[in-house]
Amino acid sequence: MGQESVEWNHLAETVLGRYLTNTLVLVLGVSLLVLLMGVLPAWLVTTCEFRGRRILSWALILPLAIPTYIAAFVFYQGPEAAIPLLIQVRQRFGVDAFLLTEQVIRYGLLILMLAAVLYPYVYLACCSAFARQSRAVIEAARCLGDSPTRAFVRAALPMARPGIVAGVALVIMEVINDYGAVHFFGVPTLTEGVFRTWFGMGDKIAALRLAGIMMLVVAVLLALEQGLRGRARYVEADAGGIPLRRVPLAGAKATLAFLLCVVPVALGFLYPVVRLSHWAGLYFLSDAGGSFFPGGAALGRGFGLALVTAVVVTAMAALFIYAVRLRESRLRRFFGRVAGMGYATPGAVIAVGVLVVFGTLDRVAPPFLPLVSGTLFVIGFAYMLRFFAIPLQLSRAGLERIGKPLEEASRLLGHPPLRTFLQVDLPLLRAPLAAAGMLLFVDILKELPLTLILRPANFETLATTAYSLASEARLHACAVPALLIVAVGAVGLLVMNHWLQTSPTSSKHE
Amino acid sequence: MQKRLLFPLLAAFAALFPGGSLRADDELTLYTQRHYGFDDTVHQRFSEKTGIKIKVVKAAADELIVRLQEEGANTPADLYMTADGGGLDRAKKAGLLQPLVSALVEEKVPAHLRDPDGHWVALTKRARVIIYAPDRVKAGELSTYEDLADPKWRGRLVVRSSSNAYNQSLLASLIEANGAEAAEAWAAGVRKNMARPPQGGDRDQIRAVAAGLADVAISNTYYLGLMETSNDKKDLEAAAAVKIFFPNQEGRGTHVNISGAGIVKASKKADLAKQFIEFILSDEIQSLYAQGTFEYPVSETAEWSENQKRWGTFATDQVPFSVYGERNAEAVRLFNKAGWE
Repeated sequence: MGQESVEWNHLAETVLGRYLTNTLVLVLGVSLLVLLMGVLPAWLVTTCEFRGRRILSWALILPLAIPTYIAAFVFYQGPEAAIPLLIQVRQRFGVDAFLLTEQVIRYGLLILMLAAVLYPYVYLACCSAFARQSRAVIEAARCLGDSPTRAFVRAALPMARPGIVAGVALVIMEVINDYGAVHFFGVPTLTEGVFRTWFGMGDKIAALRLAGIMMLVVAVLLALEQGLRGRARYVEADAGGIPLRRVPLAGAKATLAFLLCVVPVALGFLYPVVRLSHWAGLYFLSDAGGSFFPGGAALGRGFGLALVTAVVVTAMAALFIYAVRLRESRLRRFFGRVAGMGYATPGAVIAVGVLVVFGTLDRVAPPFLPLVSGTLFVIGFAYMLRFFAIPLQLSRAGLERIGKPLEEASRLLGHPPLRTFLQVDLPLLRAPLAAAGMLLFVDILKELPLTLILRPANFETLATTAYSLASEARLHACAVPALLIVAVGAVGLLVMNHWLQTSPTSSKHE
Repeated sequence: MQKRLLFPLLAAFAALFPGGSLRADDELTLYTQRHYGFDDTVHQRFSEKTGIKIKVVKAAADELIVRLQEEGANTPADLYMTADGGGLDRAKKAGLLQPLVSALVEEKVPAHLRDPDGHWVALTKRARVIIYAPDRVKAGELSTYEDLADPKWRGRLVVRSSSNAYNQSLLASLIEANGAEAAEAWAAGVRKNMARPPQGGDRDQIRAVAAGLADVAISNTYYLGLMETSNDKKDLEAAAAVKIFFPNQEGRGTHVNISGAGIVKASKKADLAKQFIEFILSDEIQSLYAQGTFEYPVSETAEWSENQKRWGTFATDQVPFSVYGERNAEAVRLFNKAGWE
């Protein structure tokens, strides 16, 4: 223990401050940008009508299909392209100006890149929140003399708050957890600290303390929001209310709305896809391109694993959140919070924890039982720990919106809790659960650090294939599995979107 | 309630993917840090020759150590391979490897490139050198690693993050040569001279020198070899714009890292594993590596690639590799103190 506190003091004295500052800068910068890129387009496509709205309404989700580590490769072209400019700055203004410019470009691009691929979490949450707001509230605001903008700020925005917060919370956790992109851009955050102390210095305890600080950052942010919310509860006041009618926009306003929605898609999806397609094209034109198709091996098992895990974990999250709500106690609510914390834990830390658990189980289990370690079950379990927050947050927001009246009625009629859940809450939750399942599927498909550590022999996912090729700097070949991830993710997201729009709960709002 | 549903679901899930750890006698399982596509070619040749299939788990060296520890006697792994010597030594210290007795290994691999107790052996070498822009750096300006901390390089140097194992082994070699205090001062001096905070990989440092952002970079040689033979025109241009300098030729020699392997203690196929290691150490496969990945052969009788011959011969630091493993944690601490991210 003496040794341990020495290591901890060493960290605190040397690098901890920088890790914390970098983490906070990224969290704040990205949060602000995703609000800008997520909330406004969500409001525009749900409440206004303008040319291109229909296509944009689903295109805005697509950046979710781009993993941050792949986006990092594409966006790193930025700092590289800036080298001639930097050389100019150094020649004219000296080394200090040069270092400052370099820093601004790098941090700026990293924040922009992270926001561009993560804003859909906020966008999705806002869309479903805005779509459910009944026309009555907004029109009441308008009748009371509010301009559309003011109605948005004073009525729609506060009502959408649980959704927005859930979305931003997911974004923040993604940012804190990211390892590949921040490492590549040379902006070490707490996650990098965990890797360095654990794997470089062999100090598990100090590394876990760092991981603890990361989770603390998330917990503090969430508690802060709870505190600001105070006693307010969010219940859909008028579940059967009249749906919002979209306000037609024309002329300059329509153009502006279009631009506001197009910019996030262009940055977070079109630019990376065009770049990757270019590289993949170069690969297939090269000598190697004819003989070897990178990523082919990953399409079978890797794909099935993601699908099955997504379905199972979503179902479990729905039950979990319902159990917490059924009898609200401090303890259950606490578990509700803790279960979501995996999202803010680095994948590698979860992987090691899971290894420890199943390794021990295998050692103490009677010998006739098959070994669990090294099977896909272990990865699936780890994915659950890591991504439980997604279905949890989304179904929690969904349940909060439904409120308790229907459920209480059902219970008063003598239906037991499970039946109430299956017959009353579940149908109402179908849309958020479908969304959760799909997000989960795409996230698992993209997952890297945990998969690398836990996978069985000769098991490749598209993500691990892309990673291998990228670490050999075979950018052109790497673009092929990367594009496949993007394509599968994009199709999955579009299917989800279609499903959401034809589901009974939302169709009445159309 | 959720428990009653949870277990059938989990069981159904587990049933979908049977046979995670079936073990056959005609296959070897590798836990490897090496992520080079070229390795598949070598594995294939081994399979053709012996009929033994190679199965692979690729991840970072220390993550694989944790996995080996936790899987214990139940691990499917037979061999542990790394792209850096420090990891091998840590695996040995963790009691994860078993000794290998082989006359061929002793003949082919110089003593400082294998574990004194036979727990691991180097399979290839990688020299960590200075890459420079010949139009901005005069040959006489370059001399040693130590010299890179001199203020004359202010704003002219690029090197990757200190999280990287190659940098950690390099600093460990400097601790061994000059002591901890001097090594820390060196790291701090180099940090001050950097043209930008550490970012990207070795290749990105070479590109930065080629693009004129910096005049010198610290990098492994094989990255340059891969760029010299790339399909990408930009890589070819960048590689043509820089030159290799082997530092410390007057003194202890250039720092050389290793990629190597050890047989996993829990493996029941030590004979097959030994066969695999000896196969890789054969001159044929050694020179195949020299041409495929541009790593240097450990066998002195194996032929170098044309690129390596062009870069020239050099004297190497002969400190036993186990020393770097021991000094690794200290190196990370010194990097932290020196502010080298």
